[in-house]
Order: sequence, then structure tokens, then C-alpha cells
Amino acid sequence: MNAHSMAVAGAPVTHKGEVLLSVESISLRFGGVKAITDVSFDIRKGEVRAIIGPNGAGKTSMLNCINGFYHPQEGRITYKGVRRDKMRPHRAAAAGIARTFQNVALFKGMSTLDNIMTGRTLKMRKGFFWQALRHGPAMNEEIEHRKVVEDIIDFLQIQHIRKLPVGKLPYGLQKRVELGRALAMEPELLLLDEPMAGMNLEEKEDMCRFILDVNNQFGTTIALIEHDMGVVMDLSDRVVVLEYGRKIADGTPAEVKADQRVIDAYLGVAH
Amino acid sequence: MFYREAGQYKTNYAADMAVFPLRQDRIGIAVILAIAFIGIPLLGNDFFIASVMIPFLVFSLAAIGLNILTGYTGLISLGTAAFMGVGAYSCYKLTTFFPGVNIIVLILVSGLFSAAIGVLFGLPSLRIKGFYLAVATLAAQFFLQWAFVRIPWLFNYNASGAIEVPQRTLFGLPITGASATPETRYFVCLGLVVVLTWFASNIVHGKLGRSWMAVRDMDIAAELMGIKLLNAKLTAFAVSSYFAGVAGAMMIFLWYGGGEANDVFTIRLSFTILFMVIIGGLGSLIGSFFGAAFLSALPTALKFGLPALGVPIGGAAAEHVTFMLVGALIIIFLIVEPHGLARLWQIGKQKLRTWPFPY
Repeated sequence: MNAHSMAVAGAPVTHKGEVLLSVESISLRFGGVKAITDVSFDIRKGEVRAIIGPNGAGKTSMLNCINGFYHPQEGRITYKGVRRDKMRPHRAAAAGIARTFQNVALFKGMSTLDNIMTGRTLKMRKGFFWQALRHGPAMNEEIEHRKVVEDIIDFLQIQHIRKLPVGKLPYGLQKRVELGRALAMEPELLLLDEPMAGMNLEEKEDMCRFILDVNNQFGTTIALIEHDMGVVMDLSDRVVVLEYGRKIADGTPAEVKADQRVIDAYLGVAH
Repeated sequence: MFYREAGQYKTNYAADMAVFPLRQDRIGIAVILAIAFIGIPLLGNDFFIASVMIPFLVFSLAAIGLNILTGYTGLISLGTAAFMGVGAYSCYKLTTFFPGVNIIVLILVSGLFSAAIGVLFGLPSLRIKGFYLAVATLAAQFFLQWAFVRIPWLFNYNASGAIEVPQRTLFGLPITGASATPETRYFVCLGLVVVLTWFASNIVHGKLGRSWMAVRDMDIAAELMGIKLLNAKLTAFAVSSYFAGVAGAMMIFLWYGGGEANDVFTIRLSFTILFMVIIGGLGSLIGSFFGAAFLSALPTALKFGLPALGVPIGGAAAEHVTFMLVGALIIIFLIVEPHGLARLWQIGKQKLRTWPFPY
């Protein structure tokens, strides 16, 4: 960053752990539309990293690149020391990257329990024939994973909706179930796309608490996109700011808040 | 008042994850099985067993197969009859090659051939969805139906061009062929359907079933959970076609006692089974039975039941009345509950649970 923002922040940036994921000068185009242009940043182990920016800045596209839905035309993504910018989403899942969506992407016809159990898919190993019998090893495996899922349900305080189909739940609870489903994967890196969009104050506070608890208790690294600046400033260790697909700032919340280009991007400038 | 979970405490996850967690449900299923295994053979006459119960069982199995594909995985198929045909013709070839092997084993094995063909025709499902996939599976229907008629090797170069079911016995009792009694054929059908339904229920309640439903409800999120769409869709095609194949083999060997593809495994049959699944309830095994009962057993029962009950109409008139009644009932059910008979059943059970104090 520049000297100006350092002076405002006052203290030097404290880095947690080693680099878990690094994005190096990636560019993503859809035909002539440039979604992301030459963006680099890194996510360190154990931190809460926020990605912010005005609408259409390329934040969600960035997450889609990280978990393999989009493949950037240029640049490289390195996760845990392995280059993986051409990876499929299910490979990203196997590598320990979980994700929630901006518009809730739950399995609507399934119960809360089944939704979260789906998050355990990769950890379940018993073959087809044991599943067809649903006794012995397959049943033991189901029970073992059910215990983990019940822990998550307790953690998120959604015991009462365990057996209800998620399609009928209120929005705030759906967001919570989706977080639970991602947590069931025991991810190392958790990508949250606007986890608090459309929530009231109370629901936001709950969600903030869950995110911090996940970060503290499980040591999960979190990258989140959020528009509520208060939330971003309170939760995150470091913030990267995008505008029109380019990175305009990167640093601690205090640094970013004071950056002139960020202020211009959010409030507009007189031309 | 009698149907509720009050007082039934689950002390472990195994009990909570049971397919029928309520004691009343378990009693109910035991009663149904007792009726099916003891009551119907004792009380039903040959006509009822051969023309109502056996078709009902065969259609139920086929409907379960299609329900796995369409209801659980969200892939529409119009090729069910063709996959049933693959089962029937494989079973015929197998009886020719291995005359010494028990026919029940051969019926079960012939489903595997159907599963393989199903996977082959399921490959387009990776790229296309919805109505377009339905049209792609039509290719299976037309191509396979053509193959059944035009490749004489499949029907052993018969002059009739049809499958001729040989006599096979189990413990000295003929179960296929002309001398098999309806009762023995019924018991074989019932045994196969009960065992395979149990397998289907286990699969849809386990990891594979959850993967299928995840793909159906939100394929992007499913992929993110580590579910490979290729594997999930192709296993759905394989399991679905296996059930269809076994149903097809049962249809020819245990119900028709012989037949030719152009008469049996037509697109009309594919549609009938699709309607059974839709009317019965997508994504519900019990719905498959409801649908099969509604579209196969009810018309037969009406056609022959009305004159038998003393309603003064002739055979031809009874048939017309049946068509009208069934047609009207389909429309009424779809208006009352678009999610099928299975949902009506569920709502009924929920009502019963709170009766007589619903608040």
C-alpha cells in the first residue's frame, strides 16, 4: 500500500500463518467483457479475508475462479503450494475448499439433515453394495457421520429444523443451513459469498458470531464477500478491494478505509 | 389418535435414521406384507392374481426404476420401455445359453445388461437437460425397438419373431412357461419386487441417494460438495435401467409368457410408466406403487369389477367407462395435488398425527 494509508493505520500489518492460497495476476474474460483484470492477492492460513467492492466489481467471479467454476485465461492460482487454476469444482472440494452462495443454493427438496449430510459425501467411503444393504459397515459409517452433522447442528443452533425440508425455511435459516453444509466438509478454506445479504440486524449478529467461532474454534481460513462495511471492518483481518475487475486496495480494514481510491470508488468523485 | 410418535423415544441414531421411524408405520408395512404374501394368494382367484396383481407388481418395479432417474435425479427419460426390452431379450438369450441356471438368477442378471445399455444412452445427460434429454432418450426407444425386431439373433431366429418363454422350475415347481400357475408366478414377482424395493429404499436413503437428489436440486452446489456429476448421473441411469430391465424380464417371463417388442416395449409403455411416476409422486418409492396401482390395477379392476358387482353394463361399455373414469381421476388428482398421490398420502398421515386436535 502507499505511505498515506500506512500512516493512518498506525501499526504495521500483522500476518497470520503462511500463505494458503495465492492469486497471481489473473485475468478472466467472457468474450469481450473483462470480469477480472490482472488481480493478485493472497490468503493466509487462519485469517478472515474480506473481498469488497461495488456491484459488478468481479468479487463473485473471483470466488468462482478460486473454486474452479471459471478458469482464468491468464495468471495462476496456487493453493497449498500446488498450482490449480484449471481445476474442476469437485477437485477443489476434495482439496478442502468449501463455499456458500450469494443466492442460497441449498438442495430444496431435502431436509436440513440431508443437506448437511451431503457435505460429508467426500468423507464417506463405503461402496455401492454396502449402501444397498444399509447394514453393517455402511450403517456404521452413516451413524458416524450423523454424529458430526449433529455437532454442526448444535453449533449453529438449528436443532428444531433438523427434519424439515429446507425449501420452506425462512431465508435467514436457509443461510445458516448452507453454512452448516459447507462446514460439514471440514474445509481448510471457506468461501462465503455475501453471508449476510438480506438479513436483519439480529440475524447478522448471529451470523457474525458463527463466522468468528468457525475461525477461532476450527482454525478455518475464511474468505468472504460482504457489502455491510461495519461487518467487514469488524470481522476481517485483511481486506482486498476490487473495482471494475481491478484491485484498487489491499490491507487491514483501517488502511483500506482510509485509502483515497476506495473512498472514491464507494462515494464517487467529482470529474 | 392412534397414529403418532408420542412416547416413542429415539435413543440412538440408528433408530432415528430408520426408514420407518414410527412404530405404527412398521406395523402397517407388516400388515401389507402379510396381505400380499398370505391374504391375496388365499383369497384372490386366478384371474385377480394373474391380471391385476402381477401387472401391478411389474409396473411398480418399472415405476421405481424410472422414479430413481426422474424423481430422484431429475433426469427425464422416455426410453423406459426400451430398457425393459433389453432386460427381457437378455433374459431370453441367457435362458438359451444357460438352460441349467435358475430363472430367477437369470432375471436378476438380465437387469445388468439393461443397466449397461442405460449408461450408454445416459451419456448425453451430461450435456443436456430437461425436455432435450427426454428427446435424446427417445433415440434409445426407437433404436432399441428397431433392434429387437430387426436383429433375429435376439429372438433366436424364431419364425414368430417373438420371445418364446421356456418352462423353468424352482424346487420342481414350474414358475415360467405355460404350466406355471398364477400363484407361483405371483410369489416370484412379489419376492423380487419386495427385495428390490428394499434395495432401492436403502440406496435412496444413503450416500448415493443424497448425491442424486443434490444433483436434482442444485447441480452446481452438488459439484462443490465433491459430487462428480458424471458419476451421479450415470449411476442413476444404471440403477434405474437395472430396475426397468428386471421389470421387463418379469413382464415377458412371469406375466405375458412370451411376446414381441413391437407389441410390448413400445413408446406407449414408456409414457404409461412416466405417467405412473408423475401421478404417483416424483421422488417417492411408495408413490411408484400408488402410480402403478392407479394406472394398471384400477382400470382392470373397473373393467371387470363393474359388471361383477352387478352394475348392468356390458364388457365393451365397461371399457369405455373405465377410460372416462380413469381420465377424470387423473385430472382431479393432478388439480388437487400436483405433487402426486404420495404427497396426498403424506398430508393424510400428517393430519392423522394431529387428529382430533389439530392445533
